[in-house]
Amino acid sequence: MADLKVDFAGVPLQNPVLLASGTCNYGQELLPLTDFSRLGGLVTKTITPEPRGGNPPQRIIETAGGMLNAIGLQNPGLEDFVGEKWAFLAGLQTQVVVNIAGFSVDEFALTAARLEELPGIAALEVNISCPNVEAGGDNFATRPETAAAVIAAVKRNSRRPIIAKLTPNVTDITEIARAVVDAGADAVSLINTLVGMAIDVNSQRPILGNITGGLSGPAVKPVALAMVWKVAQAVSVPIMGIGGIATARDALEFIIAGASAVQVGTANFVNPNAGVEVVDGIQAHCDEHGIDQLASLVGSLQT
Amino acid sequence: MIDEQVEVLANDEVAEEFYMARLQAPYIAARAKPGQFVNIQVSTGGAPLLRIPLSVCAIDLDAGWIEVLYENLGPKSEVLSRTGRGVSMACLGPLGNGFAPPPAGARTCLVGGGIGVPPMLYWGSVLQRQNYPVTLLVGARNKGKHLPDELLAPAASVVRRASDDGSLGQAGLVTDLLQEELAGDAPHAVYCCGPHGMMRAVAALCRESAVPCQVSLEEYMACGIGICVGCAVELQQDEQGAAGSDYTRYGRICVDGPVFDARRVKWED
Repeated sequence: MADLKVDFAGVPLQNPVLLASGTCNYGQELLPLTDFSRLGGLVTKTITPEPRGGNPPQRIIETAGGMLNAIGLQNPGLEDFVGEKWAFLAGLQTQVVVNIAGFSVDEFALTAARLEELPGIAALEVNISCPNVEAGGDNFATRPETAAAVIAAVKRNSRRPIIAKLTPNVTDITEIARAVVDAGADAVSLINTLVGMAIDVNSQRPILGNITGGLSGPAVKPVALAMVWKVAQAVSVPIMGIGGIATARDALEFIIAGASAVQVGTANFVNPNAGVEVVDGIQAHCDEHGIDQLASLVGSLQT
Repeated sequence: MIDEQVEVLANDEVAEEFYMARLQAPYIAARAKPGQFVNIQVSTGGAPLLRIPLSVCAIDLDAGWIEVLYENLGPKSEVLSRTGRGVSMACLGPLGNGFAPPPAGARTCLVGGGIGVPPMLYWGSVLQRQNYPVTLLVGARNKGKHLPDELLAPAASVVRRASDDGSLGQAGLVTDLLQEELAGDAPHAVYCCGPHGMMRAVAALCRESAVPCQVSLEEYMACGIGICVGCAVELQQDEQGAAGSDYTRYGRICVDGPVFDARRVKWED
């Protein structure tokens, strides 16, 4: 049996497959439908300091090969997470990465500091890249200075590994990746969703209540893969590959491109056991191809 | 709730572009309550990508099948309508919360509009078996879009129809029929499923008449199990109690519903 273990920025993962933020909520709903102990981990839905109601409906629509969402970071807020949600997550036999966001550098810092009180959090994934909420008219990950400012503040307030989640909605994602690594990020995860929209031609109105949304699913995989490959050449920290991963083959492409671990996202909406099936598929692939250590495949792309 | 591999036993057009699929689904058939739904993966090829959520319309516990009734009006229903007997599909269910039972002996009125009729058929047949008097009001655009009598009969002792163009039943809206029911020997409980505007009107009529009303809501849905938080409905905040916060402004139709007390829903657009 091939060894799928990964050390991801100091977080030991039994395999490289995690469930992506915003696609597994806080775990509870998936308990009857998947086996968390078979996964490398899960990343919680984003937590903000205050509770958030999210965007008005319609929030999702399927598009060719994918879907648009504009949920708007609906979440119970930091205190409810600490007091209620965490107890369940702490009991899962898998690594739990907590995804955080804020509307100012201080909010990110405050959230990171409060989460220091919860032993057992594997790492923080810092969501500087949600396309569906306004933060000073721009999200933090679209400019190297603001991205770096958030990461530096979180890093100062947390001893945990810090993963900066990057947006593809930029001219040069490697520039942002370098900035967050210089600011102390222990790893990067990419990509968040691509800004997109859909229109009802009869009513001449946008389909989503938020007008625009984030595109995810198989349609974005080639874009994500290229960005992971570029970032892998630009920085030396581990990369979490995200974007349209639904099968083991998808996951292996990201790993070969340079990702040390991957996240399964939209696929969970189609198949709530998708993550475990990706793990099984990676195991089968390695065993069939005589790959003893999955880690040896990371960044093995021959060009 | 499981992701059950189900087999298509039948899949036939029962009205203009309305199809009834019978699925061998023993696990779900043994557990599905009226108002609950399933989320079916109509394609494993990725097109369409997401599943189609459909209300359970009928079950046969002994035979282990469920029936779902759907209108062919989008890519998912289009693929499903072309799915033949013997095909196997992943079917997640039963999902959501069903209808809450009426008080003993209550006269019930079920209101279904268009593709909102299916959950009413399952609920009506259960109420009938429990000896509740059931009146079923059905609205559709025209005669072709009305379901045949034999599908409606098991769900109610009295069936009344309305169509927009008057081609079957009373000309006008199903809410006209409800108004008449409420003005006469009024029902003690109303259950409703249909287009948003129709449900809003039904909720308003019931509120005026002080008749309890439950609605089965619909919204574009992805996962059906509460993880995507996509199928949002705005809820009345004053009825959330002290625990209410901005987080509870929107409920998830798939897990908090799809059936809601009509008074909990914020109907203004």
